Amino acid sequence: MELEAHEARVLLFLRDRGKAWMEEVEEGTGMEHSAVMRAVLGLVEGGYLSVEEDRSFLLSLTPEGRRYATEGLPERRMLERMGEGKRMEELLSSGFREETNIALGWLRRKGLVEVVGGEVRPTPEGRRALSERWPEEELLSRLLEGAVSLPGLTPEAELLRRRGLVEVRERTRRLLSLTEEGRRKAGEVRIQEEVTELTHELLVSGRWKEVKFKRYDPSEGVPPLYPGRIHPQQRVIEEVRETLLSMGFLEIKSRAVESEFWNFDALFQAQDHPAREIHSNFTLSRPSTTRVPPHLLRRVARAHERGVEGSTGWGYRFNPDISRRAVLCSQTTAATVRYLASHPHPPQKVFCIDRVYRHERIDYKHLAEFYQCEGIVMDEGLTFRDMLGYLKLILNHLGFREVRFRPGYFPFTEPSVEAEVYHPSRGEWVEVLGAGMFRPELLRPLGVRHPVLAWGIGLSRIVMMRLGLEDIRDIFCTDLEALQNWGLRGG
Amino acid sequence: MPTLSVSYQDFCSLLGERIEAEELCRKLALMGVEAGISGEELRMEILHNRPDLLSPEGLARALRGFLGKGRGPPTYSLSPSGITVRVDPSVRGVRPFIAAGVVRGVRLSGEVVASLMQTQEKLHEFLGRRRKGSIGVYDLDTVEPPFTYTTVEPEGISFVPLDFGESLTPAQILRLHPKGREYGWILEGKERYPLLVDRRGRVLSLPPIINSEETRVTEKTTSLFIDVTGEREREVQLGLVLMMTSLAERGFSLQSVRIRYPNRSVETPSLKPRRLELGEEEVREVLGLDLGARRIASLLRRMGYGTEVRGKRVKVLAPPFRADLLHPVDLVEDVAIAYGYDRIPPRVKGVNTVGKKARVEELSDRVRLVMVGLGFTEVMTYTLTNPGINFERMRVKGEAVEIANPVSQEFTILRTWLLPSLLQVLRSNRKHPLPQRIFEVGNVVLLDEGSETGAVERRRLGACVAGKPAGWSHVKAVVEAVLREFGIRPEVSAVEHPSFLEGRVAEFLWRGRRLGVAGEVHPEVLLHFELEHPVASLELEVEALEELKEGKEEG
Repeated sequence: MELEAHEARVLLFLRDRGKAWMEEVEEGTGMEHSAVMRAVLGLVEGGYLSVEEDRSFLLSLTPEGRRYATEGLPERRMLERMGEGKRMEELLSSGFREETNIALGWLRRKGLVEVVGGEVRPTPEGRRALSERWPEEELLSRLLEGAVSLPGLTPEAELLRRRGLVEVRERTRRLLSLTEEGRRKAGEVRIQEEVTELTHELLVSGRWKEVKFKRYDPSEGVPPLYPGRIHPQQRVIEEVRETLLSMGFLEIKSRAVESEFWNFDALFQAQDHPAREIHSNFTLSRPSTTRVPPHLLRRVARAHERGVEGSTGWGYRFNPDISRRAVLCSQTTAATVRYLASHPHPPQKVFCIDRVYRHERIDYKHLAEFYQCEGIVMDEGLTFRDMLGYLKLILNHLGFREVRFRPGYFPFTEPSVEAEVYHPSRGEWVEVLGAGMFRPELLRPLGVRHPVLAWGIGLSRIVMMRLGLEDIRDIFCTDLEALQNWGLRGG
Repeated sequence: MPTLSVSYQDFCSLLGERIEAEELCRKLALMGVEAGISGEELRMEILHNRPDLLSPEGLARALRGFLGKGRGPPTYSLSPSGITVRVDPSVRGVRPFIAAGVVRGVRLSGEVVASLMQTQEKLHEFLGRRRKGSIGVYDLDTVEPPFTYTTVEPEGISFVPLDFGESLTPAQILRLHPKGREYGWILEGKERYPLLVDRRGRVLSLPPIINSEETRVTEKTTSLFIDVTGEREREVQLGLVLMMTSLAERGFSLQSVRIRYPNRSVETPSLKPRRLELGEEEVREVLGLDLGARRIASLLRRMGYGTEVRGKRVKVLAPPFRADLLHPVDLVEDVAIAYGYDRIPPRVKGVNTVGKKARVEELSDRVRLVMVGLGFTEVMTYTLTNPGINFERMRVKGEAVEIANPVSQEFTILRTWLLPSLLQVLRSNRKHPLPQRIFEVGNVVLLDEGSETGAVERRRLGACVAGKPAGWSHVKAVVEAVLREFGIRPEVSAVEHPSFLEGRVAEFLWRGRRLGVAGEVHPEVLLHFELEHPVASLELEVEALEELKEGKEEG
């Protein structure tokens, strides 16, 4: 059997002695009591060691006991004073009353006195006891010289203990003896140095063969390591980006500061449309105006006021100053429409994932700054059926198996559609996407003559579904603890 | 989106049949109205372009058609009431247009009055910026026609407004009455205020603020006078049509009123249907469905239109309350809705294009990979910020894109650099153990007079290290590691920068371009962010990191 290091040390210590008390082993090896104890248990189990327990009682005087040891037991003193007999009152009036009672009590208990008619007289045993030295007195005077160790509690020791004159501490000493096996094993043992680390020195010197490597408990904890990480929202964005790239979409970027022209007017959103009211988007004081291509401005203005072929337009007076106002971009549709204006010919498949801004107070359902994902498909002969087809394809690729559609409304598309996906863990349908075919009033002024399918995904909602969030603010959580421990789950 | 609340019972009775709640919601959704039921109440989200659905009556009318009962456009009988409204020229610069009508045979229960008031409210929201077109409803029996729509001086008259105990002048109403305080801004700057009075000078209302108490509509009212005033004639007419056709659905009868402007007269409401046309070809082109003209006509009838088939085309009569029909494509959408969005078979016509990532994203992805490889955790923060954080706390001055209508003082500008955002992240993680290594790859926005919009975005890499290893040499090593991945060996030169500790900050340059800066953050800056451990940081221009040709290194 392979010995542990501490077992080997104990065995070695006992090799020449054959046997020793455990305290001697502790002192001799410098090991701690618990280590020696463990070693002993191991060695006993291995059959190398036998243990005898030696119980002893260590007696020492209490302060009261010390007093009686020096002055004499109260009952002895009383007996001496008693003579042939004394009246009770006389006895009680002399000396400490309490002590007198104790003395009297013991004398009666020991049968050394009797009380007859108010007079206390020694019995024959009492007269004899006077000339004897009692065992408890013997013990007391021994204890005066120091603590006494007894193998067992004698009656007088027990008596003194009961009287509170002596303190008794029980002590178990263990005597360790080598067995035949043990003696043999001890002869074989060589102490191996136990090390924690394999070092360069041990390796090159060859000493690694001579040392023992401390065993580690693999279930013990170690300080955690956290790898660098991409932000969870970024990972979802990348997933959406990859999906669209793999479908052949070209990525374009939006602008933080945009003109009302691209953000609204070019999208055929009337200048007095409710969504344009000062409440839902941020206007800027700096910069306050932007430059808008004049020919486009003219064409878009006409579309608003009078429509295009076949359309009545919105029928209000278009204000170009409003067009030139600077705002924080509130929809990435501005970017896709800007792209169309400079690329009006088919085929085109373009997408944009970028931040937009809305004039909202931040709460559990609203952010003032968040990501949108917008895209368009333009080609000859595209129809509403293709609109539904592309939406289904994109959502399926994003991991949503069940998709359904219902009518929607956006000022810049007709027909419009809202797509819902089934959220299995919540057991409900969730709206994730709004889409439609760009209106002719939007396309004609930009010189686009082919159908354009346009769609926008609420990225925040998808992020929240992927990350299991209930509060939209958590998307921009900056708590490092959370960021380092977030897992992603399927949509 | 506007929402409508209506009692499930009331709605079913308007519909003429009882449909199980969940089924009802699904049908409404397929018609384009998102609905939910909570207890006895139906809550619906109405699309912006369908104000005719903003009343339970209008909604029931549309749903009846959609479900196949009641075909074609509703017909409303309209007879002249003989009542006139004379328009005084003075309203021209104040609130130029009015339309009015009469509703007879009215029976009002508490529920109907509540429904009426909700419809009025919703239409007000629709008519734009709160009360731009505003509707007044009065008990006709409390006043005597003919009426006059005119203007009055702010102190020129006094009457008891609705829900107010005493008689007030218009100026006082604007100051003291809750509605006056809420909507008084509409009349700001005007020297005279609009007023509607009867022949005895009894005030009906101070449009668009408040009606008079004496003309209040109660459950005893049997005839209503309705007016709509506003700045655009089209909206004003539409508002009246919407209000009155809604009431007609309750079985009340409609009468028109003559509006006499100084140089013309018009009878309102006009319930004449609009004439449009739609052909098989347009439907096929837009929807991709092969539908014959007869089929198209039948679908349109379910959506409340009148139709007449002429060969491959359909002549369409649209009810007067359909405000959203700008182009035949609007009719095509209705054909699709009636057909059923859940029945249209999707298809995908292949469009041959090749996907490509935007260059700035490609560069950003590579930068992120390096930072993750160096053990940094990515954070994402807002570009919205304020000068206190972006400049003052950093001990610098500067200019930024400024918001004219901020929601709070926390977000009044766009950030010009990433470092303050990162220091804020460190601040919110003060209890988290060290070391903390964070980075962000995100946009900053700078003013730029040369650009079309007056501003320009820049993609930056920002990073901070708090705790060991912190300090100049480590953060310089990180910068060099990032740049090395792009084959760049920069020149480094010491600079002065108030946000950093003197003598411990430098710029990185390459081919004459400034790539960025790195250094140990100044203690005062750290204190401003309540940070108690030293922080070193860097900020680099991502778009300046171009791949060298053939991966060769240059000095």
